[in-house]
Amino acid sequence: MQRMFMRRTGLALLLMLAASALTFALVSAAPGNVAALIAERAAGAGADGEMIAKIANDLGLNDPLPVRYLRWLGDAMTGDFGISLRTGKPMAEEFAERIPKTLALLAGGGVLALLLSLVMGLAGAVSNGGLVDKLLHALALIGASTPNFFVAAMLVIVFSVMLGWVPTFGVSGFSSWLLPWITIALFPGSVLARVVRVNLQEAMSRPFATTGFAKGLTRRAVLLREALPNILIPYMTTFGAQFTLMMIGAIVVERVFGLNGIGAFFIEAIRFRDFIGMQAVLMLFVVFFVSVNLLVDIAAMLADPRLRRPRRA
Amino acid sequence: MKNWPWLILTPALIFVLIGVFAPLLMTHNPSTQDYSAVLAPSSWSNWLGTDYLGRDMYSRIIGGARTSLVAMVFVLVAALVIGVVIGSFAGYVGGRTELVLISVIDIALALPSLIIALALIGVFSGEAWSWMSDYWKMILALTLAWWANYARMSRAVVMAELQQPYIEAARVMGASHMWIFTRHILPHVLGLVVVYASADAGALVLAIATLSFLGLGVAPPTPEWGQMLVDGMSYIEEYPSLVIIPGLALTAVVISFNLLGEAFALQKVPRAVRGGLLRRKKAARAVEEAARAQTEAKV
Repeated sequence: MQRMFMRRTGLALLLMLAASALTFALVSAAPGNVAALIAERAAGAGADGEMIAKIANDLGLNDPLPVRYLRWLGDAMTGDFGISLRTGKPMAEEFAERIPKTLALLAGGGVLALLLSLVMGLAGAVSNGGLVDKLLHALALIGASTPNFFVAAMLVIVFSVMLGWVPTFGVSGFSSWLLPWITIALFPGSVLARVVRVNLQEAMSRPFATTGFAKGLTRRAVLLREALPNILIPYMTTFGAQFTLMMIGAIVVERVFGLNGIGAFFIEAIRFRDFIGMQAVLMLFVVFFVSVNLLVDIAAMLADPRLRRPRRA
Repeated sequence: MKNWPWLILTPALIFVLIGVFAPLLMTHNPSTQDYSAVLAPSSWSNWLGTDYLGRDMYSRIIGGARTSLVAMVFVLVAALVIGVVIGSFAGYVGGRTELVLISVIDIALALPSLIIALALIGVFSGEAWSWMSDYWKMILALTLAWWANYARMSRAVVMAELQQPYIEAARVMGASHMWIFTRHILPHVLGLVVVYASADAGALVLAIATLSFLGLGVAPPTPEWGQMLVDGMSYIEEYPSLVIIPGLALTAVVISFNLLGEAFALQKVPRAVRGGLLRRKKAARAVEEAARAQTEAKV
């Protein structure tokens, strides 16, 4: 058991290292750019070759790639991710300012997706083939197919423009978070509702459900007491995958609603060729995605002893 | 529906046909601006009205279908070929080569495809890439972000197929590696991968629109739904139709491909459509797995 944990964690760390090295190599592959960009920022359009060369030399940009990567990684470990070419502020400062906003977005969206999927999935299973079930199936399909920026636009049209209940853009208090949360929760909520529904159906046809019926339990009781606990594992794994994917939703939503989170910064960094900012955010993404996956794996192993046995490769 | 299983293909087919015959269907040039008819409502000459530059919305929607379709086909074909080649090679050769390749695949899958595509578009914005148009940069970035899924899937099929006794039989009869691979293994790989790709098409259309929405995909004046939508956002209060029309078009296309994917996963599609390549239970299970992986890893 413990060895399994250690193994998974070790693999995850290795994956983080490899992925960050790859992104570093990729971003640095845009040749000569960083020095030229810094010179341009410092001296306007009049930056000459000499100045660019001096900056490149000062920053050690002429060193071989592995050396630069290790130096960058060493700095990153101490919380120094460089200075953003776009905003001129240290990346650590940008992170401190922006990560809480993105986390609030993801956390709210995650809770909403959880509630949405459980309610929709359970209601579908209770109705079992009835009108409600069919309606919810259609709803889940639409929810899983509507682009999140269109969802955001529709919510703005209905709740801001038509009803005037919430502000269109910007963050001001709790109500302004509602539309962003709903937007990013709709897709994962719909996918997860299907997971709940399909797995409940499968569980209801298993022998333990029949036993439940034989004991004289009602359908609803079998559903909630016998079937529901059995969907935990598939639900958790899909939830983990969907939760990380909400980061993509966050990128879109932060732009639509003018939230200054990590996603919005990432897009800005790409548009303004802020390679230092891009590299830092990509590292953050790698850590986020790999560690959430690791946590989900570990949670699944804790919940289901069968997964703890080492698998043959 | 039960008697007409082919119907499930219709919505996706309509999108493809609109894309192919777009030039015949357009009533206006989608890029021509007409300042005398800016933000016009629907009329006989402009069926869906005009946008803030007086461009015909109907023609732009049709043109957008073509833009998405072309980019999607390029990315899908390229990602599929690269993925199948790398994945099959890894699975067939095995040993250290496989270990290296599977590590590369795992690293490529550590981040969601769309984030990788975004990062690559950022890298391609450097001066060294200025000879390439934004449209092709997007296609290249998406391809490089998309192949790894196909590689992982291909490898899994190859490894499963290599266990089959008939491979051993072919080997004993003296068949070459090339013969065994192309005659016995590749059809299985392609059968699965093509089915997966047909359902993946919707996710790709969505990715193209998302990139354009973020201003990092198809650049104006080329008509593209995501970009039309982001343009319309500035007029959302007075002219919500500028946002709603491209949004609905996009949603309709994604729904049609998702329906297709769900039908494949639930085995509702007739054998003839599946190409007769998926007769085996194992392959059918693999499709189910793939469809599940797709819903889990959409975008």
